[in-house]
Amino acid sequence: MVKLSEEVEIIETKKVPTGATLLFAFPDVGLVGVIAASHLVDELGLTEVAHLDSNMLPPLIILHEGLPHSSIRIFAGQDTLLAISEVPIPTDMIYPIMDALIDWAKNKNVKMMISLSGMPIQDRQDVTELKSFAAASTAEALKTAQEKGLEILMEGYMVGPQAVVLQRAAQAGSPAITLLAQCFYNYPDPEAAAEVLKQLAKITGLKVNVAKLLEKGEEIRLRARDVMKRTQEEMSKMKKGQEYDIPMYVS
Amino acid sequence: MIDEYFQEMEKWADQVKETLSERPCWDLKTCAIEPLREITVKPTEVIVTVDLPYADKKTVRVEAADTSSLEISAEMKKKIRLTELGITHRQGVIQRFHAWIRIPVTVNMDKMKIEHKKGILEIKLPRKMPTHTRRKK
Repeated sequence: MVKLSEEVEIIETKKVPTGATLLFAFPDVGLVGVIAASHLVDELGLTEVAHLDSNMLPPLIILHEGLPHSSIRIFAGQDTLLAISEVPIPTDMIYPIMDALIDWAKNKNVKMMISLSGMPIQDRQDVTELKSFAAASTAEALKTAQEKGLEILMEGYMVGPQAVVLQRAAQAGSPAITLLAQCFYNYPDPEAAAEVLKQLAKITGLKVNVAKLLEKGEEIRLRARDVMKRTQEEMSKMKKGQEYDIPMYVS
Repeated sequence: MIDEYFQEMEKWADQVKETLSERPCWDLKTCAIEPLREITVKPTEVIVTVDLPYADKKTVRVEAADTSSLEISAEMKKKIRLTELGITHRQGVIQRFHAWIRIPVTVNMDKMKIEHKKGILEIKLPRKMPTHTRRKK
């Protein structure tokens, strides 16, 4: 058990690989990260190795096969760690939780952190070819993303857990990348999740077949309905809409 | 004093919103589920979108219930048991979508335009503009 602060602790239940790439997938626009991560867990056969506990979180557990599970869990494969939450993180808990996860990642000598998320666009239903973008914590990580053929999000605002990851990684001089696929703001978007996985493969080489994800699109949209609804409420509290704002950067 | 009044009002509005939202999205008596939807008010029109996965396009119905609300319904292509959605402690099926949507501004319901793309229903309602009377100097 690693106690990282008074509020948040990460409880390891199995051996955790060191020197891996850590992926973050939290409920956000279009649930892009969560849908993508859920597919990764299935396709790569990732296993749960740790979970997060905090008495500052709402008193909620997820029951699976009759047993309780934390809503924020960490899965692992050979060179991959994946932190996922199936319920939206309360806005006032984003900093303590992300700080705890980032400190834990440091203890595990994580080589890179990658957040999977979305970028909402107007009239998404009219768009067939989704674009995706990347933002990075350091000049080197930005260069890596560019060399791998990712389009860079040059200006703008970022709101949510992925913003904290980039901010903290930039402060520590460690590499982190956020991948953003164009998506619906308020509706679960499996197509955007497939797109973000294609971009992830370019950086990490983690190739997964997204055909199954696209085939199950309607089922995923229906099953994710309530998580999306709860996420909408939390996005409104964290002023997620600020990402639409015209940026004003003083240089 | 005025600030306190507005803070109280906001708190009350939040409480009402929470009370209203804390209920299941499905109704086993009618076998219906409430779809996710979004309303965008633009200068000349209101755009309502509704997420209808599994909906049979031919059965989608949009009706103006009155001058400021819409009733939307659609049958699903297949019946979905609650167990398929991971709800194992209740028995029942979901086979349709149903929603009432209140439009926040005055619109012309007769000129409603409907499209259904990628399982998203899009309804465009032109706004009724207030008639301004011009004063003579």
